Amino acid sequence: MKRRSFVKGLITASAGSVIASPWVARKAFAAAHTDTVKLGCLFSSSGTMANLEGRLNFVARMAAEEINAKGGVLGKTVEVITTDPGSDWPLYAQLGRQLIQQEEVAATFGCWTSVSRKSVLPVVEQNDALLYYPLHFEGEENSKNVVYLNSPPSSSVLPAVEYLMSEEGGNAKRFFMVGSDYVWPRTINQQLKGYWAAQGIEPDAWREEYVPVGHSNFQTLINEIREFAAQPGGQPVVILTVVGNSIPDFFREYVNQGVSAFDVPVLGLDALEADFEGLDTTSLVGHLNCWAYLQNAAGPSNQEFLANWASYVEANDIPFSPDVAIDPMVSTYDGVHLWALAAEKAGSFDVPAVRDASAGLTFACPSGYDISMSAENNYVKRGVFIGSLNENKSFDILWQSPDTPEPVPFSPYMNT
Amino acid sequence: MQPAYAGCTFPALHLDLIMLFFRRTLARFFIPLLLIVASMPAHAQDRAAILTEICSGDFAAQQSALGQLASAGVEQGETGASWARTIVDAFEGRNLRCGDGMAVIDGDAGAVMAGTLEPVTNVDSASLDAPSVNLRLRAVAASANAVLRLFTEMEAAERLNAANYIDQRREAATGTNIGAALERETDPDVRAVLITLRASLLMSDDDPTNRIVAIEAIAEDATLRNRTMIAEAIKTETDAAVIASGEAALADIDQTLAIGQVLATLYAGASYASVLFLAALGLAIIFGLMGVINLAQGELIMVGAYAAWFTQEAIRVTVPGLLDYYLIIAIPISFLVAALVGLIMEVLVIRRLYDRPLMTLLATWAISILLINTVRVTIGSQNLEFHQPGYVAGGFPIVGDFIMTSNRLFAIAIAVLAFVAVVVVLRKSLFGMNVRAVTQNRSMAGAVGIDTRRTDMMAFALGSGLAGLAGLALSPLYNVNPGMGTGFIVDSFMVVVLGGVGSLIGAIVAAFGIGQINVIIEPIYGAVAAKVFVLLMVIVFIQWRPEGLFAPKGRR
Repeated sequence: MKRRSFVKGLITASAGSVIASPWVARKAFAAAHTDTVKLGCLFSSSGTMANLEGRLNFVARMAAEEINAKGGVLGKTVEVITTDPGSDWPLYAQLGRQLIQQEEVAATFGCWTSVSRKSVLPVVEQNDALLYYPLHFEGEENSKNVVYLNSPPSSSVLPAVEYLMSEEGGNAKRFFMVGSDYVWPRTINQQLKGYWAAQGIEPDAWREEYVPVGHSNFQTLINEIREFAAQPGGQPVVILTVVGNSIPDFFREYVNQGVSAFDVPVLGLDALEADFEGLDTTSLVGHLNCWAYLQNAAGPSNQEFLANWASYVEANDIPFSPDVAIDPMVSTYDGVHLWALAAEKAGSFDVPAVRDASAGLTFACPSGYDISMSAENNYVKRGVFIGSLNENKSFDILWQSPDTPEPVPFSPYMNT
Repeated sequence: MQPAYAGCTFPALHLDLIMLFFRRTLARFFIPLLLIVASMPAHAQDRAAILTEICSGDFAAQQSALGQLASAGVEQGETGASWARTIVDAFEGRNLRCGDGMAVIDGDAGAVMAGTLEPVTNVDSASLDAPSVNLRLRAVAASANAVLRLFTEMEAAERLNAANYIDQRREAATGTNIGAALERETDPDVRAVLITLRASLLMSDDDPTNRIVAIEAIAEDATLRNRTMIAEAIKTETDAAVIASGEAALADIDQTLAIGQVLATLYAGASYASVLFLAALGLAIIFGLMGVINLAQGELIMVGAYAAWFTQEAIRVTVPGLLDYYLIIAIPISFLVAALVGLIMEVLVIRRLYDRPLMTLLATWAISILLINTVRVTIGSQNLEFHQPGYVAGGFPIVGDFIMTSNRLFAIAIAVLAFVAVVVVLRKSLFGMNVRAVTQNRSMAGAVGIDTRRTDMMAFALGSGLAGLAGLALSPLYNVNPGMGTGFIVDSFMVVVLGGVGSLIGAIVAAFGIGQINVIIEPIYGAVAAKVFVLLMVIVFIQWRPEGLFAPKGRR
């Protein structure tokens, strides 16, 4: 009997931990005070996105601490409340509602994949709340309740593809698109096809393939890429929009089948330093990505940001690398600061006031650009970097935009 | 443009661009350099001109300069080639720095003048810019480097490597520089490679017989890329004999390519099957023979992979010389660690639930979550980095465009070994006989004196250990992280159910069937559709034959 009850206990405990894990967890050190203002985070610490999204919780806290060290916002201390949506898209909406209605947060910061953002969108719109979204994405959305901290394709993907098609970038003539099968890759590829058609490129110069999310066996696809590359018609490139753990799986098979970046470079639109943690990148040197921030960005503000992150990781014993900084981290960091600036300017934490005050704000981003919020929508003007993978699992800057291009939420190439 | 053969035409190709460049950069670089050049010997003048070009940051000029560097060995022999190689190395490594009308090479021991390789003291090299290196220049530089190695390497083996490398990457190879290398070459193996290489570079030669030789040399390596090259060349060809030889070569290549394609499909199917089979083998014993629905099977695979990683780290610290063999050394370790975890699971939880299958399902699911989160908390959620020894990295070209990748070959080998071992254990050993007896009729087996409890425990441990072995074999193929196991669980149940519960042969046939059908459908309808098709086929098949492919005869 005793044994049985032990087993039962074990089962309930394990099952309980599953149910309990996604609940709102309050940070112990920031006990609730009346002189605090709350910010909510919707980033997963478990599931497939854990390794990427998990870092963003800590960056948001770090930014809040910086603000608090300077006296807080409107005399109040900023408290960051984190949640764990467990990479389960509908749970983002549920926890978002909980943050807004029960915790009464002044703003939420969250989501990585577009599908999670789409699930939170009705919640923030119904409650007239603010969601700061830190990822570059497919555009085609313009909600007054979302601040799009990162770039739509017009100011991230298209400049990178233009670069690849230039003489300097390798004179790309033919394109093999590989993506995970969901909204972001399909929309991006739709826009790219419209763009190429507008450039007078014939449809037989590109191919489009999709794999299930989480796909890992890339043998057949890479055989097809090699076949595509060997055909006449000019320099081929791969536009890679697979996400998560499919990225290292893709590159591992790519190397093993002997395809080099010299022959067929891959532009990995979601490829980050963190995706290469388990790989030896010496034979992957030269593959490309494009983001609004790269760790090697020049300038004192980046040095300061990297130093702060490293010491923050050390001081708080955070389970992420102190010397890896990725674009969404910087975007989240920018977002917290932009929110604080807007609240200061508005003199209030009310969402409509903060939203109105956001227009025209600027902030010195660690990327080295002065990013700014445009007055007519909730998009942020960011710079563009094209990175080239090096031996040390990080990206060298191959090209960067001279200024911050105007973000265009709705692509003119979508329906061509 | 054909990237592979860009090298053979580019000196002429970019002449106009080069002229343009000279005009453009005259004011910035050329006037100060001209003054220096006037008082130099001939080859020093060439060097200065090359350095001006490579420093210009102008793509066409840099490409032309790399082409000249690659041919430095033609007239100036080893000394020229050795200087050129230093420059190319520095350019690739971004240690070449330019400015103020001069070029220096940054090194650990201080900077040297690029033209003379003499030390400089009065220049702060950090203040000078490294010229940009884009992908195409990197490719030309890598090719040029290999050409120069033909002139500078002392060891024949190194020159052979270089020659084979140029065969793959020909941007900087020309008939002239390969010809010059061939004249100097004494080693017969290297000569053989260079003769074919030079022949294949004569595609645009004036002499039709040389063009035929070139076609034949190219056709020796029957890849789609070479096929495209020949096909493009004979489009503009006027000489009938050359066209005939080209068409014959194309027909030959097509045949080889077709064989290669069939083999590639078979191999892809076999390798996918080996993954499915490895993941399912442990389950075939635990679920197939014992009837336990073990949802933590995927996590046992993960435990095996982590054990392999810890073995690697231990070897790295204790006997780094054996690091390349860690995957072999880890075979028993991964097996035993996963078997031990399985044993503990069995003793603590599963043994109490043999007569309540629904509870087992819940309990094993809970254990899987427990294992995932324990690993995540203690080790972290990032992908682990595995050292890739030669036998699991890269691949060998076999026929046509078919490349046999070694990491998948390793998985196939482990799958075959594991299958043979399991069959031997189950058929030939006393323990195997006990397992079969217990699974056929538990109470009768107990009555003849078999310790059924102990047999269950050992069988569960064996099944878990096999999952651990799968983790080891899959670590060169997949990302190793705490969540890696969840992806395998559906596939392994599918294989076991389709194959017939309790049948090892069934599991093998089912794995092969699913793998092969998947890779046949994938190129036609895409990976998403392949997955749907396979699942639909399995459902229809199970409807028609619920007991699976190979149902064990007799009562259960």
